[in-house]
Amino acid sequence: MNQMTNNGLRGFRRIGWFAALGTCLALYALLHIKVTAVHAEVVRAERQIVSLEEQNMLLETEFLTRSNQVQLAAWNRVDFGFQSPTADQFINSPRQLAQYGSAPAEGAPAPIRLAGLRSGEDVPAFPQIVSPLTGRPIKANLLEEEREDNGALAVTIAPGPLRVPIAGIAEASVGVAQR
Amino acid sequence: MNAYAVPRTIIAGQAGLVDQRRRSLLIARLRLLLVIVVFVLVALAALVKIAFVGLVQPGPAQQSMADALLPPRGEITDRNGVPLARAFPAYALWYNPAAMTEGNEGGPPLVRSPEAVAQELKAIFPDLNTYEVTQQLASGRPGYLRRRVLPEDANKVMHIGELALELPQEEDRHYPQGSLAAHVLGYVAADGDGRVGMEQVLNDRLLDPARRAEPVALSIDMRVQGALEDELRRGMLSVNAVGAAGIVLDVDTGEVLALASLPEFDPNQVESSDVRVTQEQHDRGITAPAFNRVTNQVYELGSTFKPLTVAAAIDSGAITDLSRRYSATPYKVQGHTIRDSHPLGATLNTPQMLIHSSNIVTGHIVDEMGAETLRSYMVELGMNERPYIELPARGFPLWASGSWQRIRAITVGYGHGISVTPLHLASAYAAMVNGGIWRPATLHRIAPGEAPRGRRVFRASTSARMNQLLRMIAVYGTGRNADAPGFRVGGKTGSAEKPGVGGYRQTTLVSTFAAAFPMDNPRYVVIAMLDEPQGTVASSYQRTAAWNAAPIVGRLVPRIGPQLGVMPDAHRDIDLTDLRPLVGDVN
Repeated sequence: MNQMTNNGLRGFRRIGWFAALGTCLALYALLHIKVTAVHAEVVRAERQIVSLEEQNMLLETEFLTRSNQVQLAAWNRVDFGFQSPTADQFINSPRQLAQYGSAPAEGAPAPIRLAGLRSGEDVPAFPQIVSPLTGRPIKANLLEEEREDNGALAVTIAPGPLRVPIAGIAEASVGVAQR
Repeated sequence: MNAYAVPRTIIAGQAGLVDQRRRSLLIARLRLLLVIVVFVLVALAALVKIAFVGLVQPGPAQQSMADALLPPRGEITDRNGVPLARAFPAYALWYNPAAMTEGNEGGPPLVRSPEAVAQELKAIFPDLNTYEVTQQLASGRPGYLRRRVLPEDANKVMHIGELALELPQEEDRHYPQGSLAAHVLGYVAADGDGRVGMEQVLNDRLLDPARRAEPVALSIDMRVQGALEDELRRGMLSVNAVGAAGIVLDVDTGEVLALASLPEFDPNQVESSDVRVTQEQHDRGITAPAFNRVTNQVYELGSTFKPLTVAAAIDSGAITDLSRRYSATPYKVQGHTIRDSHPLGATLNTPQMLIHSSNIVTGHIVDEMGAETLRSYMVELGMNERPYIELPARGFPLWASGSWQRIRAITVGYGHGISVTPLHLASAYAAMVNGGIWRPATLHRIAPGEAPRGRRVFRASTSARMNQLLRMIAVYGTGRNADAPGFRVGGKTGSAEKPGVGGYRQTTLVSTFAAAFPMDNPRYVVIAMLDEPQGTVASSYQRTAAWNAAPIVGRLVPRIGPQLGVMPDAHRDIDLTDLRPLVGDVN
């Protein structure tokens, strides 16, 4: 009886081993197939990259061909007429750059100035600011809220300090705008 | 006995039956087994096949991306990496009449009439010859209708919908810049080998599978090359010259930044007339467009040699005082009269000699220096051998061998009696202005700090003095038309009569301007040469270099200067104050 059980157990064990082996083999096969599939995908991607690189090269070459130097020079001669920059278009030193910002020397010709109005002259009243929604003049306190300098408004339209009183805000003091 | 016998018989009979039964059973089982074995084998074979198909077959042989992207012939780029020549899988338009009539069943090769198809193609390729293409389509013979079709145009051809119009991709060599730098690059012949230029020189390197993936960078700067060719062509056409040559050379490394020879050819479409001339053309002195005038043709370059002579004289100690005056009246040497193109006064000093380009005074200077000294300087400058450059076509100078006679040295002093290529002159000028070091010219890009050491020809002091003198020629002398504002150009004109049958032909000139810039720290040498210029409105009816070659340099330098890192500056120049009083009243 005992021997029979032993035999049965041994048979069962054997079947178990075979089952385990079978499972492993099946898993291995699955894995292998998966690897092959991924591999095939990689190869496909590589091929796609190669084909895109080739297309890229074709397009780049086409662009280079259409924009070649001879062609550009011909276009420039006929259509654009660009010329090489001259010496006075280059700034070669910081000193040369600084010259543009320095005060004119004694006796130098006066720089061309733009017309403008300065405080103290007859400055006309600034048009009233009108609300775009209601069409009525804006109240001074609406603007005051956001301003630190007590509602001073000014605009700069000419070099130097300029004061423009805004007629629409009667209470507001006149501020100074510095450029 | 009987009792035994019967049952024995019975037994024997039974036993025979059993035996027979057993045997037939065995046979049946064996047969069954056989059938099973066969089935199992078949099943196994099927399983193996399934396993093979499932596990092995779909895994395609991996193709390396590097292999797939490896060009069949390496790319050539300029110094900044702009492709100048590349392998290009171009489409070709191939006419295959059999495509529609597979199996030779007859029938027309095209859906529509050849005329209609030719019209459609004409709409895509405006330069197509409709008549020829119609004839070819109607003839039913396969053949190329066109090569190097752009992808965009290939798509349009596909849309025509004719099966007989095939668009195979072919490996081809393409030069995106067209004829630009054609003489530097050369072309690839039908056998797959390079010809003429660097395609020939680098042939093995470009075909080597291990190295061809890496592009080869030349020393050429594509923008400079474009500007040089553009200005040369303009100058050449405006004076009806038969040819022109130009070169831009880096004085400190010997790198050639641009090298142009006109007329040019298109390496994308090389005709036999580009590389060969007929006997009749040869007799008239016409060269093929593929012939490189810069490296292969030797010319007497005339007065451009005078600065070299003066440099040799200063360097050897024959001139110690630039203010010393020499007689400027014509004189005879060994039966030849040395004269100037027009009278330049009784006496001239050295700076005046250069400014007015006097042959007579050059003769006196050579006399004082000695023929052998001048000869040795010319040898040092490489004037007695082929020019140093990688290109296969390099002309051998016409160089008088042996020791020079007095008349030979004097004529060489002003650029006659010696024929060299414009490249010789460029290398010599580079040595003269860069501090005195002669270096071979090269078409390979040189990494910073890896310039060849070269050989010293002139002392640095001589070179500094020559920079002043060259600048003076451009400011006060014949080179004024080349003096681009702010670029401190210095250079010398040269207008040499071309030798013909029975002496020099006074009406055919080779006019050259050899220049360097900026003269306060010379970086580049520019040579512009015109072959047989005519007097036209553009050159104020003059044929000399001051009126045709010098303006080319004057227009070219502002174009290439900023690209090469030389910014124009009107407030900077080489100091000429010590020499200015010597040239008197010039304006």
